[in-house]
Amino acid sequence: MSTRDEPALYPPYQDTVADSANPALHDLPTAKGGDVKQPDAEYFNALQTEVNDKGFLVTSTEDLFQWARTGSLWWMTFGLACCAVEMIHVNMPRYDMERFGVAPRASPRQSDVMIVAGTLCNKMAPALRRVYDQMSEPKYVISMGSCANGGGYYHYSYSVVRGCDRIVPVDIYIPGCPPTAEALLYGVMQLQRKIRRIGTIER
Amino acid sequence: MSGLTYEQSPTTEGEEISNYTINFGPQHPAAHGVLRMVMELDGEIIERIDPHVGLLHRGTEKLIEYKTYLQALPYFDRLDYCSPLAQEYSYVLAIEKLLNVEVPERAQYLRVLFAELTRICNHMLNIGAHVMDVGAMTPNLWVFELREDCLNFFERASGARMHSAWFRPGGVHQDVPLKLLTDIGDWVDGRLPELFGDAMSLVTDNRIFKQRNVDIAVVSKEDAVKWGFSGPMIRAAGIPWDLRKSQPYDVYDRMDFEIPVGTNSDCYDRFMVRVKEVYESAKIIKQCLAEMPEGPIASEDRKVSPPKRAEMKQSMEALIHHFKLYTEGFHVPAGEVYVATESPKGEFGVYLVSDGSNKPYRCKIRPTAFSHLQAMDFMSKGHMLPDATAILGAIDVVFGECDR
Amino acid sequence: MAKVLHSAPRYATNEGVRDALCAALGSMVVDSIEEFGEIVITVKRESIEDALRLLRDEHAYQQLMEIAGADYPSRPERFEVVYMLLSLTKNHRVMVKVSTDEATPVPTVTTLWPVAGWLEREVFDMYGVMFDGNTDLRRILTDYGFEGHPFRKDFPLTGYTELRYSEEEKRVVYEPVELAQDFRSFDFTSPWEGADYVLPGDEKADVPPVDDPKVTEKPSDTGAGAKADEKAEEKVSAGAPAEEDTGIDTEAPETTEDQPDRKASEGDVHDTKGATKPEDKE
Repeated sequence: MSTRDEPALYPPYQDTVADSANPALHDLPTAKGGDVKQPDAEYFNALQTEVNDKGFLVTSTEDLFQWARTGSLWWMTFGLACCAVEMIHVNMPRYDMERFGVAPRASPRQSDVMIVAGTLCNKMAPALRRVYDQMSEPKYVISMGSCANGGGYYHYSYSVVRGCDRIVPVDIYIPGCPPTAEALLYGVMQLQRKIRRIGTIER
Repeated sequence: MSGLTYEQSPTTEGEEISNYTINFGPQHPAAHGVLRMVMELDGEIIERIDPHVGLLHRGTEKLIEYKTYLQALPYFDRLDYCSPLAQEYSYVLAIEKLLNVEVPERAQYLRVLFAELTRICNHMLNIGAHVMDVGAMTPNLWVFELREDCLNFFERASGARMHSAWFRPGGVHQDVPLKLLTDIGDWVDGRLPELFGDAMSLVTDNRIFKQRNVDIAVVSKEDAVKWGFSGPMIRAAGIPWDLRKSQPYDVYDRMDFEIPVGTNSDCYDRFMVRVKEVYESAKIIKQCLAEMPEGPIASEDRKVSPPKRAEMKQSMEALIHHFKLYTEGFHVPAGEVYVATESPKGEFGVYLVSDGSNKPYRCKIRPTAFSHLQAMDFMSKGHMLPDATAILGAIDVVFGECDR
Repeated sequence: MAKVLHSAPRYATNEGVRDALCAALGSMVVDSIEEFGEIVITVKRESIEDALRLLRDEHAYQQLMEIAGADYPSRPERFEVVYMLLSLTKNHRVMVKVSTDEATPVPTVTTLWPVAGWLEREVFDMYGVMFDGNTDLRRILTDYGFEGHPFRKDFPLTGYTELRYSEEEKRVVYEPVELAQDFRSFDFTSPWEGADYVLPGDEKADVPPVDDPKVTEKPSDTGAGAKADEKAEEKVSAGAPAEEDTGIDTEAPETTEDQPDRKASEGDVHDTKGATKPEDKE
């Protein structure tokens, strides 16, 4: 199912900043207004240039850890309601989230990120927390859709938790009712970005 | 240890063994959402199942009482999120029945067309998930591509991929572009039968698939009637009961289609009924496209459906109607109706009580999966533990609708 | 019944069905109406089981599709339980109703249809209606340990408790509801279409007329007190400033059309020649 061995489909990132030979990875310039660039293109270009130039790569363990973390974000299948359908769609061939190393995993012990997709109800909340507690560190939470973000359309109901951040700490919020598959994909990429930016070993 | 049955074990000589209880869900990939089933097992044989539902109980019916009729409409999309438009259908028909408002012919055709597209969309998810529950991956990947096409059609018609809120009392929200209709026609003729046929060729005669589904959860006709089955569940039991045929709404009485029925009433029959229904839906869609007349897409009764935006620029009266409809909403005569339509999962009913105001006094939703899931206990009795997922997949349960 | 314009599901005709069913049910019937194409028969609470058995066995209403509860707090028996029956052979639907209150149980119909088990559980959960004979009358949809019956009209929409994860106790805890913003319920009923509330200020309109109208012709009528009255007596107000004729006729201002054109702007404009000064094309 993986498409990683089809290089023609996914060309390497285009270099938008010329001669970014090898600046220190953390002092990279931020995007200017009107620039169109791939997310974190400089980061990847710097890495690539270094490998091409020297044939090996010297990096800090932190960077190595981040690289590993961002490259295999296995997510916990936690489909609660409507958003779960879009969450399935993003894993299906058209959007194919696996090309980012983001694969579904049904066991909390082996997953890195939990996508809370849908309305979290009072009856379900303890189970959600238990699953979160069972996940191994480092763990991330993506809150998907209005209901998980803050109750949304069901905010005033007697049986709905007004935002899943009352139960678990959330890293990324994706708006929408439901967010489109593209929006979820973007959210996952934002999470990868966040992991790269925070850059600590312990989380 | 009270309540458990003790028996002599044939192998452990005198040592007492007892049934044990396992908890299936609420977080389980084969539970199709948030279902918790407390299973009492004798070895791997299911003795008793107690499904715990309500883990997605969002209080929809209570919230509807606090919204105007139009504001409450999008809740129906979110009930059964695999077939959103089919749920709206019952609700708008219930309102129209109370108001006794006439729907233009083009709107009726459009609604039938998109209801059938929704049926295909729903069956794609269910068929794919059912196949995946019993261990096959590939067909699911293929049929989801078709589902993605359906979602694109919905997006082009209404602007939203899933929750369209496109059926409105008195018609539909907006007209569709001609290109969309021709694209749907091409899709129904080309891509759908091709891709779906390919995917099903992997499954329908597959030995493993048959071993997992044939003769699992056989339900007699009498039981199917007694347990309130509807939709593919009752048709698989051999009763040709389809509300589209027997109690036609909109222009279904003009449509030429057949009702597939099962012979054995097992999980395999339920699956095959759905497979056949996809082809029947395609037939209806083609007929809709061929016969659809030109004309208005919503009722001309300005007390129910809003005026066109262009009209509002010119006419003061239109502006007032628009303002009134989107603030106060329309008033529905006092009374009560029960309207049921054939959603992809079965009979989806709305019991609507109006007190003459602009908000429903009571709106009871008759979910399809509620009755079916209740029968889970007697259907799985005596079967093996892994059969539970096949039975659950064949029920086609979605919890947004079951728990409301 | 007016002409049917809507396109809701069309099933077998209602003609004569209501009379036939009422005659068959006999003394069990309390009331029956036929409205909007629906037949609703209200029966005595104690005889609901017999009534439904009769309808099932002798009038071919084989399926119980749904049991709905409804709450009408103003009635002496506030709850209604509505049974939706479907006949597969006659292709017909009928609704049967009973009414009850919090304390009085309704006989169960699980003896007739096993499907009634969950449906009755749901009505019990949502309204607190008891069903006599249902052996498994547990809550079904609401949370474990939920208190109250949420679909009653006096139950607040947002309930009484909400939950959050407590970092100190390491578990999910229940707390009283605290909303950042209350549910906004707008009253859209127009005042001229018979709103049943009094508009602000309207309450004064209903004051009964008094015999001697209150006037303030003398300073003492104002009720400001003796001291103020004295002061008011002293004061002699000047006459109103009458308009004096100055004898000068002011002319009307010139019309703007005669004003000369404004000088062309010579502001700081660069590189826009093409836009400001169109090239002469001969």
